[in-house]
Amino acid sequence: MNDLTDNALMLKVKSGDLDKLGLLYERHKKRLFGFFYNLGNNPSVSEDLVQNVFVRMVKYKGSYTGEGMFAAWMFRMARNVNYDYHKKMAKESISLNVTSEELGEPMEDGFNEGIEKEGNSALLRRALAKLSDDKRELLMMSKYRGLKFKELAEFMDCTEGAAKVRVHRALKELRTIFLELEIS
Amino acid sequence: MTMDKEKFEMKLMDYLSGDISKEDRAIFEKLLSENEAYQKEYADLSKAWSHLEALDTPEPSPEMDETFFTMLSKEIGNEPRNTFWNSILEIFSQMWKPKLAYGILLLGIGLGVGYFLNPAESNFPNQEVVAAENEAEEVRQRLVLTLLEQPSANQRLQGVSEANKISKVDSIVVKALLQTLNGDPNVNVRLAAIESLTNYLENPLVRQGLVQSIAHQESPILQVTLANLMVALQEKASIEPFRQLLKEKTLDTTVKKKIENSIESII
Repeated sequence: MNDLTDNALMLKVKSGDLDKLGLLYERHKKRLFGFFYNLGNNPSVSEDLVQNVFVRMVKYKGSYTGEGMFAAWMFRMARNVNYDYHKKMAKESISLNVTSEELGEPMEDGFNEGIEKEGNSALLRRALAKLSDDKRELLMMSKYRGLKFKELAEFMDCTEGAAKVRVHRALKELRTIFLELEIS
Repeated sequence: MTMDKEKFEMKLMDYLSGDISKEDRAIFEKLLSENEAYQKEYADLSKAWSHLEALDTPEPSPEMDETFFTMLSKEIGNEPRNTFWNSILEIFSQMWKPKLAYGILLLGIGLGVGYFLNPAESNFPNQEVVAAENEAEEVRQRLVLTLLEQPSANQRLQGVSEANKISKVDSIVVKALLQTLNGDPNVNVRLAAIESLTNYLENPLVRQGLVQSIAHQESPILQVTLANLMVALQEKASIEPFRQLLKEKTLDTTVKKKIENSIESII
């Protein structure tokens, strides 16, 4: 059974058995898609970003050591993919003489679609959009991987205790923003 | 009762995640029940977490799978094949540490010196050795067949002993040995044939031939030898020919007893 763990599969990919990437993709595609979507990307962009994560895995497979958790490694990669995408988009909009104000907050694109919808989901997406990138990423990682603080600590490159405090504060801030939006 | 802020935040997250011991849970629940501010914070956080958990996400489209697997098959096509030399190079690059490098260098020098000091043997190709061995085996097999047909018992014995030297006999030699076992006029030659045949007991033809020869044997020593052999082999097929042999009136009483014992131990 150990041959089928994420770590074992990724080590096989590293040694040249690229077929095994298909298994990892099937296992994690939905979570990664949700991660990107709830970070504020529209579905089509989210799908492209999932694709980019796996392209990056192939490209940087040599750097995978098998130490630590595969999911933390993958989500760190996903975070970088998201960051690079928005950096690129911002650059392109500058070269096209579009001001960032006209573009709006890069993360809010996907959330705007939900505003018209009534209910908690739409409100929560708006609240999430108002959080800082770090906090939003941390909450998404928590949503898609559960409250596994050891993994979260690896993802955030901090101690387990610090990860608990950070998730706590991010949740608290989300709640505050949510309530404010609800009143207004 | 109050608690340091960070400590409380950590405990609350443990409690929320469910990853908390029974004792700690009880202590934390007591703390909550005694402090309203804590209770409110827990309720707020718990709500925020359940909202977040319930946040729905659309399903990715089938095109995403298609794009992924197209990319993957393209990458697999680009991947350099894991050839023998690649693996060797990889092993070397992983092992490339000074100590090991010196070790390998010394081994290389040793092998080189050995090669040059002993050119005659190292120039002898393996294939030729194998071919020569095969030829020798064939000659030996022909020799066995010829010797077994000689009128002199001595020469036939020599033939049987030559057969012992063959590592892999063919069915012609086996048949010749069985024929000797069943028909040779000399008891010693027949005994030698049994001994020689015991080298090839894994061959079903040999086992079958030995069982069939029970009925042909009249010499007590051969009957006893075969009985011993059958017991050792636990050959059930030999029971019937032995029973037939027991019906013979001329059978030696010692041999009779021996055969009866053998049948019992085989059953």
